[in-house]
Amino acid sequence: MNQNSKQRIGLVLPNIPAYSETFFNSKIKGLQESGFEVVLFSKSKSNTKHPNCKTVFAPNFTVRPKLVIEVALIFWQCLIHFNKAFKLFQLNRKEGLSIKNAVKNSCINSYFFSYQLDWLHFGFGTMALKSEHVADAIHAKMAVSFRGFDMYIYPAKHPKCYDLLFSKKVKYHVLSNEMKLTLINYDILPEMICKITPAIDINLFKRVTNFPNNSVIQFITVSRLHWIKGLEYSLEAFSLFKNQNIPFHYTIVGDGVEKEKLMFAVHQLGLSENVTFTGKIAHDQVKSYMEKSNYYIQYSIQEGFCNAVLEAQAMGLLCIVSDADGLRENVLNEKTGWVVSKRDPIRLNEKITEVVNLTEKSKQEIRKNGQERVQKEFNLDKQKQGFKTFYTD
Amino acid sequence: MEKMEKYKIAIFSGEIPPATFVNRLIIGLAERKVQLLLVGHLKKKVSYPFDNIKMVGYSGRISKLWLFLKYSFLLLLYKSKDKRKLDFWIDKNAKNKTLAKIRFYPILYFQPDIFHLQWVKSIADWVWVKEFNIKLVVSLRGSHINYTPICQPEFATIYKQYFPFVDGFHGVSANIIKEALKYNANSEKSKVVYSGLNLEKFTFTTNKIDSKPLQIISVGRSHWVKGYRYALDAMRILKENNIKFSYTIVGVEEEEELLFQRAQLDLQEEVVFEKTLPFQEVLERIKVANVLVLPSLEEGIANVVLEAMALGTLVVSTNCGGMSEVIQHQENGFLVPTRNPQEMAEAIVAIDKMIPEHYQNSARNARKKIEENHTEIKMIDDMLTLYTNVCESK
Repeated sequence: MNQNSKQRIGLVLPNIPAYSETFFNSKIKGLQESGFEVVLFSKSKSNTKHPNCKTVFAPNFTVRPKLVIEVALIFWQCLIHFNKAFKLFQLNRKEGLSIKNAVKNSCINSYFFSYQLDWLHFGFGTMALKSEHVADAIHAKMAVSFRGFDMYIYPAKHPKCYDLLFSKKVKYHVLSNEMKLTLINYDILPEMICKITPAIDINLFKRVTNFPNNSVIQFITVSRLHWIKGLEYSLEAFSLFKNQNIPFHYTIVGDGVEKEKLMFAVHQLGLSENVTFTGKIAHDQVKSYMEKSNYYIQYSIQEGFCNAVLEAQAMGLLCIVSDADGLRENVLNEKTGWVVSKRDPIRLNEKITEVVNLTEKSKQEIRKNGQERVQKEFNLDKQKQGFKTFYTD
Repeated sequence: MEKMEKYKIAIFSGEIPPATFVNRLIIGLAERKVQLLLVGHLKKKVSYPFDNIKMVGYSGRISKLWLFLKYSFLLLLYKSKDKRKLDFWIDKNAKNKTLAKIRFYPILYFQPDIFHLQWVKSIADWVWVKEFNIKLVVSLRGSHINYTPICQPEFATIYKQYFPFVDGFHGVSANIIKEALKYNANSEKSKVVYSGLNLEKFTFTTNKIDSKPLQIISVGRSHWVKGYRYALDAMRILKENNIKFSYTIVGVEEEEELLFQRAQLDLQEEVVFEKTLPFQEVLERIKVANVLVLPSLEEGIANVVLEAMALGTLVVSTNCGGMSEVIQHQENGFLVPTRNPQEMAEAIVAIDKMIPEHYQNSARNARKKIEENHTEIKMIDDMLTLYTNVCESK
């Protein structure tokens, strides 16, 4: 246990969260404001520290000139924290790891040994892999956040990857009830799973301008250009929507590896005049794009929860989303927006058409519901309180 | 055609050995006694049983250095004026000057009558051959024409700038030549040379029509343009309609998107992903399948479809690129619109419900089509015609 009165939380992340990554930054800030001390453990290869909390980097074996120093440091850590290193070695051996792999595991996790932590919290399920016994070895409680990709996609390629993790005593943080159910299906006790939804800065994302009365209907999606976002399905739906000769434009904000595929889809589907890719833009510019738009589309194949949809609702955009995982809880069908079954562009087109043709009164009601619900349920204070309870309850 | 023997043709595909279909062309031309020069990055040792093939391959630093020194010396000795001219061009245009010299010097030294570029994306690197009375022929193949200039508009500009310098365009389909015309290709200098098979190696058989569940196969590299996502959506429709089937995709073992889609659509029992297999094994797999599905978004003409048609396996293909030049809908296979899982599923069901006689008739029609248009002999004849036209043009 930490000697100071402050509880100390070790947060393990792949990278130092960039300024725009609101979830982890607001989480860190909220925890600090609630009186916790946060130490960030990162596997980032760049040594840029987080501006607001102590940052510790995992050994980096990719830079050759530093290799000797890294090895010496590991040796030193294991030596001065021999008890922890040996405990980890024993736990891994008990789990059936060979001597060589157990030694290796103690080495790659040696950067945790210097810190007295109350909680060791892995920011993604995948971050806990090969570190499942570390919390036990350093006498800390263990927590793991699941955020979508790690829960649904990674195991499709690596079946049973979480078998060891799920056998440990761990407190889980998930984003939605859907994810909670998934964990329960893995035989995790419900009381060990805590749902804390993402939150947004409701003071930033609020509408200050009037709703646009565009002669050309403006649709928008803000997301990485990644296959899980289902953008190809969205484009296929818009190619059907185009047959109705209703003037529209669809703006896709974001960048990513799928750009080539999506550009080709736009060309092949005859949407070159109707679709714009903005590339990656600053967060405040995103807001300005949203202000000019009427409808927000998030037709993902898989989605943990999706902050952009919260921001869009807060801005009063009419949101049409898929039923992928957390999106069903993010948007309440026919109350704060519309939820359409995923991977079905024909159905998506029908829903877009139906929504576009609603009376202004009906649209206004949905907008209002969406804005009110986001302000009430998804604000940063609520998230802050959620994490405080998570570590103290 | 005999006069081609006196011509020297350089074939550049970047790598030695080249892709299977380029290799077929090389062997076919060599058998007709054409003098060939192959230049490229040597991926693995290869030898051809022909003394009319000259190979210049480079791999490691030492072999590159050796080639550089050897051909620098030979050019200095025999073609010093030309070497100076090429060096001037390299200085002005090439990004990696040393690599350019390693690749270009052997070509200049042997000075073929035709330089045949297999992958058109690198055309800007090779227009210099024109300054040395070497005719430039380019192949118009799949992705390099179908989507590269759309997704990377800088290539549209490059093509528009350099296509007017090309002496001959080899199109793998009539459709791809039509596409290339958008980038200033010249239709009079273009010729369709369909991919050809050695049909002696493709035994026709249709004796698998009773196998249940329905055996479906796709073969191809793991790339979005292959459209496997739509095939899996179609398989889900089959499952919902209680069709018993087994679907194998060869060539996409570790594709995250497809693995996830298979799990999400609950198709783990029905769908298998297999790593790339040796060519002969692929043919065996196609032979025993009832249906070969080509869900691609774009193609020149997919070789795997030609192979399936030759072997007697019915094909369901998207109507993309040049596929309609080989498949006549419901005559010798099925054509469905791109990005349309529903129609793809319906076509597969139609094959599933075919009476054996109907299946055999369609398969025979498919084989006939291949025998008419896609034999290796015809491919080589057509390519030689293109080369002859190019050499005889002014």
